[in-house]
Amino acid sequence: MSRPHQYISLVTSLPHLGKLFSVKDVPISGFRLRQRIAGMLEPEHARLLREVVEVTAWAGVAKYDEDIEIIRRANQVIGELKDYPDLQHLVGARMETRTLIAALRRRRDGQETAGDISTWGFGRWCGQIKANWSDPAFGLGHYMPWIGEAHRLMQAGDHIGVERLFLTQVFRQLDHYLTLHEFDFEAVGIYVLRWVIVERWSRYNEDDARDRLKSLLDAALQGPEGPHEHVAKGLFSADSLAS
Amino acid sequence: MNEFVVALGWFGLFAPVALGAIGSAWGCALGGSAAIGAMLDSEGGYGRFIGVSLMPSSQVIYGIVIMFSLQQTTVDAANGAALFGIGVLSGFTMLFTGIRQGEVLASAIHASKAKPEIFGISLAPAAVLEGFSVFALVFALVLAGSIPS
Repeated sequence: MSRPHQYISLVTSLPHLGKLFSVKDVPISGFRLRQRIAGMLEPEHARLLREVVEVTAWAGVAKYDEDIEIIRRANQVIGELKDYPDLQHLVGARMETRTLIAALRRRRDGQETAGDISTWGFGRWCGQIKANWSDPAFGLGHYMPWIGEAHRLMQAGDHIGVERLFLTQVFRQLDHYLTLHEFDFEAVGIYVLRWVIVERWSRYNEDDARDRLKSLLDAALQGPEGPHEHVAKGLFSADSLAS
Repeated sequence: MNEFVVALGWFGLFAPVALGAIGSAWGCALGGSAAIGAMLDSEGGYGRFIGVSLMPSSQVIYGIVIMFSLQQTTVDAANGAALFGIGVLSGFTMLFTGIRQGEVLASAIHASKAKPEIFGISLAPAAVLEGFSVFALVFALVLAGSIPS
C-alpha cells in the first residue's frame, strides 16, 4: 500500500475522540493505539511522533530536571520537524502556552520579576511576559483573553479550573491544525496529541488521584529513582513504538 | 498529415476508456483505503463502507460507453480531429472526477464513522461529482452523433 493510501486507512481506523471533558474513557486504549500506529506508520514518522509526544506530553518532560533542558529538547524536535511546518508550529505553540502557565505559577508563588526568562521560557512572548510581569495577563489579554482567566482561577486556588482552561487552549490549537490535515502524518500526530489530552483528563478522578498520591509517596520513600521511572513511561516512550 | 490525424483519432477513441480506468482505479483505491480503515474501527456496517468506496468505478463504464459512441466504421482524416477532441476531453473529465470522488468518499467514510447519522448526506459531494461525469458522458454522446462518418 502506498503511503497516502496507508495513511488514509490509518486515520480512518482511529476512533473519534469526541469533545474534550465529555468522555469518561478514551475510545481506544493506549495499547491498541500503539499497536495500530506501530503497524501502519512509516518508521521515520514513528520516530518523529515519539519525539513530538515526548516534548509535549507531561509524562515525556517529567524526566527532565531543568526547564532549560526541555527548551533545548523542544528546539531540537522543532528542527527535526522541518518537513512538517504545522507540527513545528504546534510544538512551538504548546511550549509557549506552557511558558505562560509557568509564568502565572511563578508569579503566584511570589516571584517579583520574571528573572532570566531565557532559562525557563520559550517562544514569542518571553519579552512581553518580562516587560509586563505585574499585568494579570502579561499585556497579552487582548490577544489571549484566557490568560486573565487563568490568573483569576490560579489566585482563587482552582487548580482543576486552570488545568481545564489550559487543556481547552491546547485542544483548540490542535483542532485548528486538524482542519488543515485529513489523511497524512500531521493528522496522525494531531490525533495522538489529542488522545494524550483526552486520556489525561479521563484519568482525573478522586480514586485515581488517591492511588497516584499513594504511588508517588511510596516511590519517594523508596528512593530518588522511583518517581522518575514511573512518570517517564509515557504512551510513546522509546520502547513502545518500536515494538 | 492525414496519418497523424488518423492516429489522433485512434488516440481519442481509446482515451475515455484508458483515462476513465485510471480515474476509477485511483478513486476506488482512495475510497477503499478509507473503507478498510473504517472496518478496523467498526463492529458492523462493513458493506456500506465498501459499497460507497466502489462509486468511482462508474467513470470507466462511462468511458466505455463514450468509446462505443465514438466508434466509426473507419477512422480517417475527416473524423480524426473530432474523435480526438471529444475522446481526450471526456477522458480527462472521467480521470479527474474519479480521483476527486475517491477523495471525498474517503472523507465521507471518515466523517460518518464519527457521526453515523450523516452517512447519507456526506455522500452528496460524491454524487455531485458523479453528476459532472454524467454531463460529460451525455454531451459526448450528443456530439458523437454529429461527427462525419
